[in-house]
Order: sequence, then C-alpha cells, then structure tokens
Amino acid sequence: MEYLSEIILIAIGAALINNFVLHYFVGICPFIGVSRRVDMAFGMGCAVIFVISVAAFLSWTFTYFILRPGAPVTTWVWGAINPSSEAIVDLSILNYIVYIFVIASSVQLVEMYVRKFFGGLYKSFGVYLPLITTNCAILFACLMIMKHICGVPAGQMWGLGEAMTLAVFAGIGFTIAIVIMAGIREELDHCDVPGPLKGAGITLIVSGILALAFMGFTGVDRSLAELFK
Amino acid sequence: MIWVVVILAAGTMLVLALLTAFVLGWANEAFHVEVDPRIEQVNEVLPGANCGGCGYVGCNEYAVALVGGQVPPDKCTVGGVSCAAAVAQILGVELVQTWAYRPVVHCGATAAQRLGTSEYLGEPTCAAANIISGVQGCTYGCTGLGDCERSCTFDAIHIIDSLAVVDYDKCTGCGACARACPRNIISMVPFKSERMVAITCSNKDFGKDVKAVCKVGCIGCALCQRTSELFAVSDNISRIDYDKYDPQQMGDLLVAIDKCPMKRIVFVGKPSAEDLAAVAQEETPKIIEADFKTTVDETEWHG
Repeated sequence: MEYLSEIILIAIGAALINNFVLHYFVGICPFIGVSRRVDMAFGMGCAVIFVISVAAFLSWTFTYFILRPGAPVTTWVWGAINPSSEAIVDLSILNYIVYIFVIASSVQLVEMYVRKFFGGLYKSFGVYLPLITTNCAILFACLMIMKHICGVPAGQMWGLGEAMTLAVFAGIGFTIAIVIMAGIREELDHCDVPGPLKGAGITLIVSGILALAFMGFTGVDRSLAELFK
Repeated sequence: MIWVVVILAAGTMLVLALLTAFVLGWANEAFHVEVDPRIEQVNEVLPGANCGGCGYVGCNEYAVALVGGQVPPDKCTVGGVSCAAAVAQILGVELVQTWAYRPVVHCGATAAQRLGTSEYLGEPTCAAANIISGVQGCTYGCTGLGDCERSCTFDAIHIIDSLAVVDYDKCTGCGACARACPRNIISMVPFKSERMVAITCSNKDFGKDVKAVCKVGCIGCALCQRTSELFAVSDNISRIDYDKYDPQQMGDLLVAIDKCPMKRIVFVGKPSAEDLAAVAQEETPKIIEADFKTTVDETEWHG
C-alpha cells in the first residue's frame, strides 16, 4: 500500500504539480516550436513519452548498477582487479556524460529500427526523434532519477518502478501542456495580436499564464499523502 | 583512491564507447534502407518551390511518391509541362496530355452588388469573418478580406472592389489561394485554352433567397443546362463539366452565356483580341495607391 501510494504521488507530481514544461521550464523549445497544430503537438507528445521512457530505463540501469557509490558491477570489477582494497568506488562523476551518450545512441538505434520495420510510423513521428534526443526535458528526467539514487540511503533508493513512473508521467504531463498550448494557439490565429508580439512573443506570454494556472495544483500532493495515511 | 576512480571511469567510458560503436555499426548494416537513386534525380528536375500545389508537403515528398509510382507526373503546377516531361523521362512512363490548372473565383459580386452587408470591425481576415454571421447577406460569397491575397507568394491574386480577382499572367497555379479560402469558393480548373468559361457564383440557396442577398447571384434557373450539355444544375447552382469542355466547339456555350439572366457565365483568363480592341479607346483609371490603414488604427482596442 505504501509503495502504491508513493507511485501514485510520483505520477500525479510529474504530470500535473511539477509539470516539466510549466513548473521547471525545461523542454521549452519543442513546446514553442511544434505547438502550432493540435495533431502535430500530440505526435510530438507521444514521441516524448516514448523517448523519455527509453532514456529513464537506461539511465536507471546504468546509475543503479554501475555509477552510484558502491554499485554492484563496479565493486565487483574493482574487487577482481584489486582484491585487497576496501574502498567504496564512486563513479557518479560520469553521470551526465553517460546519460547524454546513452540517450543519443539508443534513440539512434530505435530510429533505425523504426525506419526499417515501421515505415508509416517513421514518417509520422520519426522526424521528431532526433529533435527530442537533444532536449533538456529528457536529461532532466534522468537527473531527477539520479537524485533519488546517488547519495540516498539504500532503503529510500528509487527502484525501476518509481523511475519509469516518473518518466512516463512526465511525458504525459508534457503532452498535456503542449496539446493545451496548441489548442490555444489555433484560436490565437484569429486574434488581433499587436505586431511586435506576433509569433514567439505571444506564445511565451500565453505559456506564462498557463504556468500560473498550473500553479493551482500546488499542494494537491500533500493532501493526497494525508489521504493515503 | 583518486587513481581507482580515474581508471574505472576511463575503463567504463571505453567499454561503453566500444559497445555502442559495435551495436550502432551492426544496426546500420542490419537496418539499412535502400533509397532509390531516382528520387534524387526527380528532386533535381522539380522546381523546389515547396509550394504544396501537388498535394504533398514539399517537392521531396512528391518525388518519393512519384518514384513509388502512386501518382502521375503532371501534378506539379509550377514546373508545368516541361517539368512533367522530364519527370516522365526519368521514370520511363508515358505522359498523357496535361492541362495547366489555374484558380477560378466562384463569386462575381462587387461590394455594391452585395445586399445585407453590415459594417464589420472584427479581425480583417476571411477566416475570422466567416465565423460570424451577418457580415454580409450571402454566406457563400467572397468576403473580400484577402486571405487569398496574403496566401499568394506570386502576387497573383488581389482584392479589387471587395472581390478576389486572379492575375493570370502571374499565377503559377500552386493552389495556395484555393486552400486559404475559408468558404472554398476558389477552385482549380484545367485551363484548356487561355480563356476559360467559369460560373462566378457559389450560392446554393433557392433563387428567391439568392436575390435577397445578391444582385447578380446564380438563381439556379437551369436555362444553361437546357441550352448546352456542358452545364449541370444541382443544389440550385450551375456547374460546368470541364471534361466535356472543348475550346474549338463553343457554339451552344456562347448561346448559354447570352441566355443567362444573371450573366453569371463569364470568361476568365487572358482577354480575347476582340475584347482588347473594344476597350482600346477607353481611358483606363489611374492606379490608386493602397492606404495602409489597419483596423487597429481606427477602432478601440478589443482584445
């Protein structure tokens, strides 16, 4: 029960309360760039959910088994080389570079696979994949997961379940935000926007107001946590 | 201790790099997709305007579809016949005779001929005016706010006296205006000669209702249908069957043009020699400078 309630809290937190775009302001460039039409925005959102899940899975695996202080694989390798050493090896300095490396290459691999075997799918969302690879939202999700593994006592460390929940619901939160934004922008086409604000200017102002609206979710997690007790 | 971390970090990165290089290299071989070299050739022949007139997103998409053999090579309106011939040669297909498609505005009422108009102070776009009722009596006709004019990259369509008029000398037939018009009154017509017959009305209401909103609208009387088999009246509006149209045999067509009570069957395109001779003596009005007033200048802020 405690595990389940934690999962639910992580999910709601990632999707609504601490929405990546509207609370942390990461992933703004696709949010502004691809939110012109609702269908395109939805395609982008689905691609982000996919990529963020792959990235979260890989980064959790690498962090947990290789990079964190006292990770099993590293300890085993070091023990094999130097059996007499008692030191706890900490490779967490490699976190950032390994995340970027792993995300970029895995998305490349997935892109090739999709292009070969699912031509239609590649046409509709393959163009977004390289775009998302270099997106800060993806790296941000990895860093959130890292924060809950490195430097955390063993009992409170996040497992794969928590990490994947965070990633998938962060992606869903991104989709919600970008689809709402695209809907607003479609209506905005009919409005008399003052000349200097046309384009990106009004979009940033509108997303700011949208972020204010999402602030209304603040505190929902605390009440929910009380409810689950 | 520091050496332990350095060696292990370097070792980890090295193993990771080797592993990734191996996997990606293998995937590049295993998932290799053959790209037809003809796509590149077709791409070079196409004009590269990316106007979307063929119905595809850009020239490259059309080239892929062409090589796939799904579409005929004459869809490119900007490149015209020469482009279609070059594409046909690369693909090794026979080119059937093609016509240049040009837009025709199916509305012929100038500002004075429209009834039931009201002063419109909203956004000066057709898309916005189309949402609101009561801008003008006719809900089918041109609103004259110029979405087509703004969509045209070739400066070939203009609003003259609240009515969209195509400049056929400049038009390349990309169809951007036809897609921009929210009332869908611009259609792409195969120009089998430089002058084409067109019906300049889109109103589907009964004759009485048309007369209430427009002085010149088609009332669906079907006189043209009885005179020439080119015409077909459905939904109270006459339409021309361009497949049957032959510029060499226009006998009963000219009779139909004469008989039309509202004079809605007109010639569009380049004027004939007689027409030019008839107006040669007349004085042409001076070109009026456009005034760059927007609604923002005149109206209160209404955001």
